[in-house]
Amino acid sequence: MNISKAVAALEISGLHKYYGSFHALKGIDLIVNRGSFFGLLGANGAGKSTSIHMICGLTKKTQGSIKVLGYEVEHHHEIISRLIGLSQQEFNLDRFFPLHKLLRYHGRLYGIGKKILDHRLDELMSQFGLWEYRNQLTHRLSGGFKRRIMLVRALLHDPEILILDEPSAGVDIELRIDLWRYLKKLNQEGKTIILTTHYLEEAQSLCDDIALLREGEIILQGRKDDIVSKLKGNLINFFLPNPLETPHVE
Amino acid sequence: MSSKDLTLSLSAHAATLSQKKWAGFFSLSLREIERFLTMKSMTVFPPLISTALYIIVFGFFMGRQIVDIHGFSYIMFILPGLLLMSVTMNAFMNASSILYMARYDQTIQDVLLSPLSYFQIVSAYTVSSIVRGVLVGVLVCVAGVLLVRMPIHSPAILLLFLMISAQVFGSFGIMIGLRAEHWEHIAIYINFVVTPLTFLGGVFYSVSLLPPWLKTLNLLNPMFYMVNGLRYGILGISEVSILGSFLITLLLGSTLLGITVYLFKIGYKLKT
Repeated sequence: MNISKAVAALEISGLHKYYGSFHALKGIDLIVNRGSFFGLLGANGAGKSTSIHMICGLTKKTQGSIKVLGYEVEHHHEIISRLIGLSQQEFNLDRFFPLHKLLRYHGRLYGIGKKILDHRLDELMSQFGLWEYRNQLTHRLSGGFKRRIMLVRALLHDPEILILDEPSAGVDIELRIDLWRYLKKLNQEGKTIILTTHYLEEAQSLCDDIALLREGEIILQGRKDDIVSKLKGNLINFFLPNPLETPHVE
Repeated sequence: MSSKDLTLSLSAHAATLSQKKWAGFFSLSLREIERFLTMKSMTVFPPLISTALYIIVFGFFMGRQIVDIHGFSYIMFILPGLLLMSVTMNAFMNASSILYMARYDQTIQDVLLSPLSYFQIVSAYTVSSIVRGVLVGVLVCVAGVLLVRMPIHSPAILLLFLMISAQVFGSFGIMIGLRAEHWEHIAIYINFVVTPLTFLGGVFYSVSLLPPWLKTLNLLNPMFYMVNGLRYGILGISEVSILGSFLITLLLGSTLLGITVYLFKIGYKLKT
């Protein structure tokens, strides 16, 4: 099983999704090159999470084709699942087990051996400031920590493609900056990263390529600088001469 | 740099894929076993207490007023059935609650994203249900031996029927755990399917005492064959062929396992 460098990390063509009569995705075509940092931008309900879920095989497509590193998602789930790491927008952490056990079981699902798993857990839990919380049950941790756990879980099996669905939702500015720095480092090391976000500035500081989704359609796609310059013409910037005063509440 | 150099080989992935998959299967099985063991006061001990109460009521209070059946006291005759009730209920509850909860809090997506095949996922959930069922079954047997000196005619057949009975209800539990939209849906299946099948499966009576039409009806109840197998394992008596009972239970278990794997494959209530 060889994957040529020339093969795209992700290739989507003619992708449609209907939920009943609702046409959620209207014929998406997308190519994400290997090693790139790709941003999928759009407002709530634009179809970002639906697209991500279909790439990972969690949602059934209605029509079209999705290939991950040349493998059809529909037919090669077992290979693709090793190549992809997904951090979802919604927290879905098992509340029964303490953090270290939860991650250990997760790593074993991917067949990671004990030595490598111990090493990965040490590395990632330290990186994300989770080490001291390793014996805590996840539901007792704050949203920011849950977000970190989601990221560690996605990275644990060292996937070739990292998919992050709104990774900075609900995290403080400090973690956001640390996270951006870490993601850039991963990307420089060769990992393909696909990121969905509402925030243009997030895509602007991280991504090489951007696609803009609106109501299930890609309305803009290309290099970051081209997209941002196109969008800037349609933005209204407000400049405040003085900082706003916080209203005093008795 | 040649194109060959530009090619990233994933053959290491492929070579170890198969053995890694089974490591994943064991991990999921162990995780689900640990889950019910962390709640043993809710999962393992209650059936033990209820069976002990059955033994006290039917063995010491009422049982003496009921005539022997096939040469055994009434409590001894119904013990295999009580054992089956505990085993099947626990296997069913284990699988149905795990699947329902995993769907409810979306932790099932974590498993669906893993490289495990649907067969391995379903098997891991089934194995944890079998372990819970058999563990409860062994404890009930210990209680039977200690309280009423329950004999064990054939430990191998006893264990075999404990396992396949737990598998049948584990698989059935997975189906219901996938189908249920609320906890009440699981309770509906317990009240309207599992309990009637158990009570009408020859747990508390011998089919030889039934009129012919009821005897025929009883033969359509899969629980009857499980009770029959366990009764043979414990008391050494059976009302129909042991091999036949084994094959019918095995067929039922395989069919239910096949259906659950299929439901996972089509993403029934798992994928939108």
